Amino acid sequence: MARRVKKAPSVCTDLPLDTADVCAKLHLLRQLLGSCFGPTGRLKQVHNNIGGHVVTTSTSSVLLPAISSSQPFVNMIKTSILNHVSRFSDCGLFAAVFCLALIERAKRSALRESVAVKVNRHLLGLCTRYLQREDCGCKVKLDFCSIHNLITLARSVISSKPACVLTESETLHLSKLAVQAFLLTVPCDNPGTVSLGKTVTVPVEGHSVLHSAVFPGLLLGITDVFCLSKVDNLNSAPLIMVLFSASLAGDLCELGDGTIEVHPGADTDSQILDQLLELGKQAVKDEVKLFVCQKVIHPVLQQYLKSHGVVVIERLGISLMDPLIELTGAQPVATLHTTIPAKAYGKVRGLSIRQFGSNTMLHLHPYAESAICTMILCHRNETMLSELKVVCQKTEHVLRLTLREPFALLGGGCTETHLAAYIRHESMNEVTEIASALGCSQTEYLIGVEGFCCSLESVVTALEHNNGNSLVDLTHAHHWTLSADVMKEQMEDSFAFCGCGLVQTSSSKKWTYINTKYTEFAPAPLSRDTILQPCVLDSFTAKLNAFQVAVETANLALDVRYIIQDVN
Amino acid sequence: MGSSVINQRQHVGLQKLSALAGITHSSLGPNKKYKFIQDDTSGESALVCSCFRIFENLELTCAVGQLVYETVQAHQKVYHTGSGCLLFLAGAWSRAALECLQKGISVSHIISAMSEGMDICLDVCRKFSFSTEGLGGTQSESCIATSHGLGLLPSKKPPHLQGATNVHHKTLNTSGQRKLKLSRHFCEAKSENVSTAQPPPQPKHPDIAHIAEGLSHGCMDAMNLVRKASSMQSKTQDTGSSSFDVTKVVTCVLPGLPGESADVVPGCIVLLSADQASVAHHLKEQPLKVALITGDLSDTYCHLGFSRPKGMQHVSDPLALLSSSKEEKWLIKVVMILLNLEVNLILVSGLANEKVIQCCCKHHILVVDKVKASVLEPFANATGAVPVTYPTQLSKHCVGTGVKAVIWRDLSSHERKYCTAVHISTGGNSGLVTVIITSCVQGKLQALEDQFWACAYRLHHALKDKALLPGAGVTEMLCIHHLQTQAEHHVKHSIEKSGDVLKTRTAANHHRGVVLQLMADGLIDYVSTVMVNTGRISKIKARTIVNQQLQDYSGHVGIAAKFSQLFLEEEKEDTVVALSVKSNEAPAVKIYDNLSVKQEVWRKALDVVFLVLQTDAEVITGVAQKSENLMLL
Repeated sequence: MARRVKKAPSVCTDLPLDTADVCAKLHLLRQLLGSCFGPTGRLKQVHNNIGGHVVTTSTSSVLLPAISSSQPFVNMIKTSILNHVSRFSDCGLFAAVFCLALIERAKRSALRESVAVKVNRHLLGLCTRYLQREDCGCKVKLDFCSIHNLITLARSVISSKPACVLTESETLHLSKLAVQAFLLTVPCDNPGTVSLGKTVTVPVEGHSVLHSAVFPGLLLGITDVFCLSKVDNLNSAPLIMVLFSASLAGDLCELGDGTIEVHPGADTDSQILDQLLELGKQAVKDEVKLFVCQKVIHPVLQQYLKSHGVVVIERLGISLMDPLIELTGAQPVATLHTTIPAKAYGKVRGLSIRQFGSNTMLHLHPYAESAICTMILCHRNETMLSELKVVCQKTEHVLRLTLREPFALLGGGCTETHLAAYIRHESMNEVTEIASALGCSQTEYLIGVEGFCCSLESVVTALEHNNGNSLVDLTHAHHWTLSADVMKEQMEDSFAFCGCGLVQTSSSKKWTYINTKYTEFAPAPLSRDTILQPCVLDSFTAKLNAFQVAVETANLALDVRYIIQDVN
Repeated sequence: MGSSVINQRQHVGLQKLSALAGITHSSLGPNKKYKFIQDDTSGESALVCSCFRIFENLELTCAVGQLVYETVQAHQKVYHTGSGCLLFLAGAWSRAALECLQKGISVSHIISAMSEGMDICLDVCRKFSFSTEGLGGTQSESCIATSHGLGLLPSKKPPHLQGATNVHHKTLNTSGQRKLKLSRHFCEAKSENVSTAQPPPQPKHPDIAHIAEGLSHGCMDAMNLVRKASSMQSKTQDTGSSSFDVTKVVTCVLPGLPGESADVVPGCIVLLSADQASVAHHLKEQPLKVALITGDLSDTYCHLGFSRPKGMQHVSDPLALLSSSKEEKWLIKVVMILLNLEVNLILVSGLANEKVIQCCCKHHILVVDKVKASVLEPFANATGAVPVTYPTQLSKHCVGTGVKAVIWRDLSSHERKYCTAVHISTGGNSGLVTVIITSCVQGKLQALEDQFWACAYRLHHALKDKALLPGAGVTEMLCIHHLQTQAEHHVKHSIEKSGDVLKTRTAANHHRGVVLQLMADGLIDYVSTVMVNTGRISKIKARTIVNQQLQDYSGHVGIAAKFSQLFLEEEKEDTVVALSVKSNEAPAVKIYDNLSVKQEVWRKALDVVFLVLQTDAEVITGVAQKSENLMLL
């Protein structure tokens, strides 16, 4: 009999947020994620206890999957944030820090959980409505006629991850490349339904970042140098290519398990090889110039094709199949026991060779208008390169989101401080009606509002990692940073900008430290005729969703009454 | 799962980095010291001499160690030289960062100031680099052979340094004005040297012998091998210019022979058994036809990606049991093909079956297996052979001609099966050269091979960059000077302005000055460590000399010459002992450094420091129970 252990009863914890253990873990998680937040954030090294590969990162999409807690509470919050990140790519850390701050504040204020939940929900609605208004003070409409805002948006995302160790010029170069790649994936004149293309990223280690480049079309790695000499003269007319998804290695891989009886004198290998050579003969007859297979090609077939001047690429891999199909219009042939139908052939405009260090790549130029492009990403070392790859994919996603909603929010903490000031001001109106609608007392409502705003402001202070001070100006409610050895009174005389770069110091402004109480004021809109452009932008869609996810997750956490855990 | 949070002021990560770098101090510079690394559990030991090999043999358990190893390995794979410098500077600059943290400078300021420092250093490298063209003047082959016939003028100021003084006044361009200056010297050289001169207006081909000497950095023997390889390749290229193709150089390590047998031969050297050797003997003096096989030479070999289904059963004919097996049939078929095509020699990149080798030997066909791809390719190009995967693919188009096989040396010993070294070449037009590295001490072989590759790649990079830097610490001294100047400028600037303008700016400037000064100290540390490694100076004396030189420098333009001379005097004494060929009147040997390698090494060292500086915690997965110093999530 199999060894059986008596089933232990499940463990039930009630009011988990009251237990010190859970609170300590949540606090630790908040410190961990808060310390990674922003362009001056700190990095974390993630590795297994036994040893093995070390990943140095500050991105939530890499950090969060590595964290698995014994507390299901923590896991629930983590899963919720990961869900947001998988859908929107950006603002993961923001959502996590905001959510954890809300939970902590609610506990600390001793507000009843049900009241806190209701107030949070009400304020979320208030913020969302404000952000979606035309005249919202922290929203910027993206002008697609000028590249400037798109580059700023790309630049803000790229520079938010310090593990990439990029200089100013490198950041700018990459931002331009990201926008270029994004524009290449937006098809121009296609009738009918429009779908975005794809950017294939090829990482190359050991070279300077400034060698990164974007190419329309696809770049495929080739290892066989023997066929290279025949490539260069194929740049004139459109070339025919064929794509196989079946294995052309000459083996019987599809047959699976079970016994096969082979009669004497029958040679399966040579029969399959004959079939392969038939395919090759047909390809040569049909003037195919590029022969691509997702899997392995038999060396005899390769030799035959090469001797007839055909460029052969094998082992393409599944991830490149879709982009290649879209680029060339080819239909992959799934079996070798057939003649290749004419409509399976695809077309490329030309082929050329590109060299990146020791990597040799074949560049397929698109024949028709195509939305596929390839980005070659270079960096000096593997750690920085893998972080850079994640960041570039994030940037691509953020740029695509602008097609859905062509807005951006001011970055650098200005949106959060602006919202906090707005909420404080708005909640002064109609306190009694709202309180009775929510079923709580006015004091409770005001405590809930204060908690919400302080949570927003704590996200802003998490941006500062160098012992500086955070300030809010009392006119536009933007965020300002001061280094530790400067007094706030000297702000008026200095020449500085707020976090997003839109507001400049002047003698008429007043500031206060961010955690101090200030009399409510309506944040003034910025003058329309300013020539200043924001220099830090956040994605509107991603941030708005991050907001919602954070508040809803915090509400869910505050609502949890019991945790029932199965022990074995 | 657990994670630990580190106190910022102490920054354990940076301390670890500095400690790791301390391991390799003695393998810096031209005087490297050997180390034994012993494994306590298994008793194995390794004799290592370079930073890279030290790291390879250590088992590092910390995350910082992993990051450093990965960086060093990636650098070594591409550049093959400079890892010691990388690690040292990473350690020195991490100490600088630690000091800055203790002084209360914030991480962002440290990073931006150090980036500025790096820009200054890279700029200095660019400005003070000089072209490889026209260095050293023309020389004949006989001059190369003698140890001090370097083509240098027996004049007071060697040409390249005179050019360097011009650099201070004009920006350097590696063509145009510089060339004019040098070609004048050139004419002087021509009148004094007996050697045949080339007409000056032509674009100068780099003088490889001279550059190689300057880049040898203490490994004269290894660099001599490189020079021989290069001249051998130049002869085959037939273009009259000297060139060096490092991708066509292969090393062959032969233990047991004394070091002086090290040599360079065109083509390749393979170790064969007695039977094969007798075939080779039989084939000597004949022009051979060659077939190239990628993959194994056996009946059961299948190319990569081919998988045999496991459930195949062959129904056998009762009569079939009497006839020969599948393997024999295959063997007969292959031998028939080879005999028909008159192939005498087969080079296989994989393994060859024993039976196949013996069968071929009977028919006087020489089979050589485990041939590297870097050998197969030049053979293919030079002989016209086309490499195939299966011997059944061979046709007359795939067979190449013009190969020679000769027995090079008989290394028989009773314990070794493969004891005859056979030399296979294509008549000298493939560009492929094999460098034979030998030593009586088996443990030293890897170090000797590494030194050879380091020298070879230094030459390769010099020719690729078409530029060189002044060596022997001159470039570092120039960087230190510039860094210190800029540091003083920042501090002065901050003091002037502290009155009226916002204090942040001035504080930041003052901090920048401190950081730049500490970076310069790191470089001073590097230079003095290299000097200490010569074994003749103490650390304090070295630092004193360096500081003295720096003080003398300001404004005085000819310091570069002086500093270089200082080093060289010590070197000369060294080489007098070692080679005992140089006379006292020999002009000073010019020492060079690679431009791209140095820039890369400095940049990578700073990358590692930045990554470790900004890391403040480790997230360790898979931790089951609580342990001290860890906070559990």
